[in-house]
Amino acid sequence: MIARMRGGAKEQEGTLSLRDSIHLISDPKNLDASVDEAFRMMLGVECQREVEPSAMESEQVTAVVGFGGVLSGACVVRSGNSAAMKIAAAMADMEFTEVDDIVKDAIGEMCNILAGAWKGKVPDLAANCGLSVPAVITGRDYHLHVQAPEFRLVHSYRFDDASFEVTIVCDGIQ
Amino acid sequence: MSEVRILIVDDSSVMRKIVERALRQAGLDPLVVHEAGSGIEGLELLRVKQVELIVSDINMPSMDGLEFLRQIKAQNLAPGVPVVMITTESSEEHVKQAILAGAQGYIRKPFTAEQVKERVLPLLKAA
Repeated sequence: MIARMRGGAKEQEGTLSLRDSIHLISDPKNLDASVDEAFRMMLGVECQREVEPSAMESEQVTAVVGFGGVLSGACVVRSGNSAAMKIAAAMADMEFTEVDDIVKDAIGEMCNILAGAWKGKVPDLAANCGLSVPAVITGRDYHLHVQAPEFRLVHSYRFDDASFEVTIVCDGIQ
Repeated sequence: MSEVRILIVDDSSVMRKIVERALRQAGLDPLVVHEAGSGIEGLELLRVKQVELIVSDINMPSMDGLEFLRQIKAQNLAPGVPVVMITTESSEEHVKQAILAGAQGYIRKPFTAEQVKERVLPLLKAA
């Protein structure tokens, strides 16, 4: 079978089926470990998983990094404006009073790091799944819709008093 | 340590700051940092600035980090200057591609300042 790759990944010949390891790919622990790694290593802060997430502000920042190759889908980081500014402050070592381009850049970069850390947990994904550059959306009352995903993980986290949500959605797997 | 001049190439200004902070924490201080938001800007800076180290992202729009490295070689810019790639891509294939393109070091995001120190300082000493 030939697996066709997008996002800079190469076309590769040989048997490659991620379906057999979908239980590993969709393991929720991988997402928690990726978030913990990213925040602890890059920012020196601990993140707690929120089992009962608190209500999010209506004005929000959402970053999306697409997966292409043996798995297609996306990693999505969503937070209220104040949480986005707190995450950006920890990353850039600056204070923010509005969601400016630096805040958007920071949330996009955090999404990129999380997407890379998550796919790095499964060797076949690390090697055969490419990442898009981050896209950042701001505003209120929007909804991300994926038609019939293979699986979706949605976890909420808190660091300091900033809550944010990370989603891994997979809509195609080879 | 004497002043070290570094070029950081990343399309994210926040990531450039994080890399700079990690380099300072690794003991590279005083540090003169030149920043570029793309491979193309990086090449332009290398034509007019002298540096002792180049740190570059791989996934960037317009010119990615691997092409940036190939162009450094092709244009004979910064001969002998070590290049370290910092990226979210971590597979052996990506590391191999980076080394073939001319990188001497590879750091996977997320990273700690300690990891930056372990990979960067020996390259600077050897250069």
